[in-house]
Amino acid sequence: MTNLVAIDNKNHKDITVDGSKAEMHGANVNLIPVVVPEFSNLATQYPIVITKNGDTGQFVFAAMLGLETNENLFWQDEQWQGLYLPLQIQRQPFFVGEMNNEQIMCIDLESPTLSSNDGVAIFNSDGSDSEYLQDAKEKLALLLQGELQNIELIDAITSLDLLQPLSVEITLVNEQSCRLNGLYTIDNAKLAALGDAQVVNLHRQGQLDSIYTMITSLGQIYGLIDKKNKQVSAQL
Amino acid sequence: MNNPTKTVVIVGGGSAGWLSAGLIAAKHNAKGTLAQQGVKVILIESPSIPSVGVGEGTWPTMRNTLIELGISETEFIRECDASFKQGAKFAKWCDGSDDDFYYHPLVLPQGFGKGDLAAHWLATQHNSDSQQPQSFSNAVCYQEAICEQGLAPKTIRHSEFDAIANYAYHLDAGKFAQLLKRHCVEKLGVTHISDDVVAVNSDDNGDIASVATTNNGDISGDLFVDCSGFKSLLLGEHFNIDLVKCDDVLFIDSALAVHVPYQCDDSAIASHTISTAQQAGWIWDIGLQSRRGVGHVYSSRHTNDEEAKQALADYIGVEVDSLTCKKITFESGHREKFWHKNCVAVGLAAGFLEPLEASALVLVELSAQMISEQLPASRDAMDIVAKRFNDTFLYRWDRIIDFLKLHYMLSSRTDSAFWRENRDPATIPQSLQDLMTLWRHRAPADLDFTSNNEVFPAASYQYVLYGMGHQSDYSGSPHKLHDHDLATAQFAQNRKLTQQALNNLPSNRDLIDKIKQFGFSTM
Repeated sequence: MTNLVAIDNKNHKDITVDGSKAEMHGANVNLIPVVVPEFSNLATQYPIVITKNGDTGQFVFAAMLGLETNENLFWQDEQWQGLYLPLQIQRQPFFVGEMNNEQIMCIDLESPTLSSNDGVAIFNSDGSDSEYLQDAKEKLALLLQGELQNIELIDAITSLDLLQPLSVEITLVNEQSCRLNGLYTIDNAKLAALGDAQVVNLHRQGQLDSIYTMITSLGQIYGLIDKKNKQVSAQL
Repeated sequence: MNNPTKTVVIVGGGSAGWLSAGLIAAKHNAKGTLAQQGVKVILIESPSIPSVGVGEGTWPTMRNTLIELGISETEFIRECDASFKQGAKFAKWCDGSDDDFYYHPLVLPQGFGKGDLAAHWLATQHNSDSQQPQSFSNAVCYQEAICEQGLAPKTIRHSEFDAIANYAYHLDAGKFAQLLKRHCVEKLGVTHISDDVVAVNSDDNGDIASVATTNNGDISGDLFVDCSGFKSLLLGEHFNIDLVKCDDVLFIDSALAVHVPYQCDDSAIASHTISTAQQAGWIWDIGLQSRRGVGHVYSSRHTNDEEAKQALADYIGVEVDSLTCKKITFESGHREKFWHKNCVAVGLAAGFLEPLEASALVLVELSAQMISEQLPASRDAMDIVAKRFNDTFLYRWDRIIDFLKLHYMLSSRTDSAFWRENRDPATIPQSLQDLMTLWRHRAPADLDFTSNNEVFPAASYQYVLYGMGHQSDYSGSPHKLHDHDLATAQFAQNRKLTQQALNNLPSNRDLIDKIKQFGFSTM
C-alpha cells in the first residue's frame, strides 16, 4: 500500500529515511518501468522491453526482473542482488504529485524506508532541505526528464513501425515451461530497412543508441533463465 | 478484352453507398495514378435527399470491413459516437413476464463443434436434483455474464480490433457515413459528386449507359450500384424489378425512433442491444457514447401510432407529450433480384427487414464485399456474376426472414392477435417449418444449412431456440449423451472463462473513456 502526502518541513521535520530499504519496493515486481537515460546502466544486467501500461494501454519501457508475475529473480536473501538499481526503486519513498497545476513533492508514508532506525533526516534543524533530500529531488528530476524522452522514443518507434511482439517460450531444468506474453521489442529487419534520412534522424536525436541498447539488452534474458534454473535446481 | 469494367458509378451516399464505394475502391486501387489505376469509383450523392439514418447496430463483420477499408478503430470509435455491442438481450419475448429474458451473444457456445452441448444442457434441465437452473446462454457462453455487468469485450491493452469476447458496434449512422465519406475521398481515391440524378440513359443492349445529373451532365460507367435507399432509383424505378413482400411472415411495418439522453456523463452504457417485446412489436434500446437510441417497431395492423407512442413513452419513463419521435414506415421485403444487367442494388434499394437482428448493415457489407471480390473484368462475365450474386442473396434474405420469424413463432405470449397470428403455421415459411421438425429431436447443427458462408450459423439458432424455451426431445436417442465427460469439462471451462472475464474486463463506459483519452495501439 502507498499513502502519498505532500511533503513539508513542519509536518515532516522529524522524518528520517533509510535509502537502503528502498529496494524492498521491488521485492515482488517482475517488470519495472524504466527511463531512457538509464538504458545503458540497465543493459548490464536486465533485458529492456516494451510493454503496455495496464491503465492506459500505452506502450512503456520496462526492465525485466523475473519470468513470472510477481517474481524478482534479483531479490535474494532479502536483498536486491544487482549491480544497478533502477531509478524507479532509487526514488523511493519520494514521488511527484500535482496540486493546482503545479508539481509538488510527495512522500509515501507507508514506505519501509521510513520505519528504520538507521534513517537520515530529510530536513535540517533550520527547516532547509538536507543533502539527502536534495539528492532525492535530483533523482525525481531525472525521472521526469527521462519520461519525456520515453514519450519521444516511443513515438519514434511506433511511427516508424519498428515494434514487434516478443514471444519467448522457456523450458526450465525441471521441464516446466513458461511463456512470456504482452512484451514487445524492436523488429531488427524493419530497423535495417529504414531509409538513410530516417536513420540519420534517429541518430541525431540520440535515439539510435537507445534502440540498439534495447536490442542488445535482450540477451540478458539468458541471465534471467540462468538465475531461475539455479533457483529451481536448488528446490529439486 | 471487350468492354472492360473501368468505372463503377454508385448512386446514393449513406452508409450503403460509402461502404460499397470504399470496399470496391480499396480492393481495386481506385487511388492509383493513371498507369496503375484499377477501377475508377464515382459516388453521386444528392445534396437534397437526407439519408434514413437507421442501422445503429452492426455485426462483428464490421471489424473486418473497417480493416479492409484501412480505418483505425480508435478513430472510428471517437468519431461515430460508437460503443461496443456483444449481442442482444431479448426481454419479455417468451411469455411477457417481468423476469423473462434471454441472450443471443456473439461468442460461440463453448466447445461448439466438439460436441452437442445443447443436448447435455437440456438433460440437466430435466434432472430435478441438479443445482440452480441456468440459462442455455449462461451455461455455454460467458458473454451473458459480461453484458449483465455492463462490461466491455476487451481492455485498453488490447490492440485495435483484437478482443477477449467477440464484439460488434453500436454507432451513429449519420456520423459513420461522414467518416466513410472523408476516408473514401481522401484516402481511397473515390470521386465524390454532389448532385441529383434526374434521368437514366440506356445503351442499345438495355444496360445503363449513364445517369444524367442536374449540374454535372451525364455520368457514364460500366457498373452502376444503386444505393438510392427505399426509392430504388435504378433497379426499382428504371428496371421495374419488383419488390417481393414478406409482410405475411413479418408483420412489422412502422417505427417510431427517439434519442434519449443519459442522466449524466458517466452513466453506464449497455454492452448489448436490448430488445423488449411489446403488445404489437418490440422496442430497441441501443447505447451510444452520448445518448441512447430507442425506438418502437410495430405492426400498424395490430396497433396505432398513438398506442405505439404511449408504449414507447412508458418504456422510457416519460410523459408521452414530451417525446419528439421520427416516424418511419416501410414495406418488409426484397427485390425479386438484386443484380440486373449492369446494375446492382445495395442497402435499402435492395430491400428491408425489421431491425430485430441488425441485418441491414451486414447485408450491405456482404453485398459490397461480393461485388468487390467478384467484380467482372468485362461485360462478358457480368451476367454470370449477376446470376451468382442473385442466387447467393436470395438465399441469404430467405434465411434472415426465417431467423427473424423464429423469434416470433417460439413466443408463448397470448396478450394480442399480433403474437397469436405470428404462431399461425400459415405465416411460417415452409423452410422454417422443416427446420423446426428436425429440431424437435435434436439441436441445430451446421449441416442443417447449405451455404458455406451462412448469415446466421447454427449456434445463433441454438441461442434463440433454447433461450426461448424450446425443448428438443432426446429421449429416443440416449446414445447422443455418451460424451458426458467432454460436456462436463466444457461446462466447467465456461465457468472458468466467465470468472476470468468478470475479473479482467473494465466497464463499457470506462473503456470508451480510455479510448477517447489514449486510443488503442495498432499492435
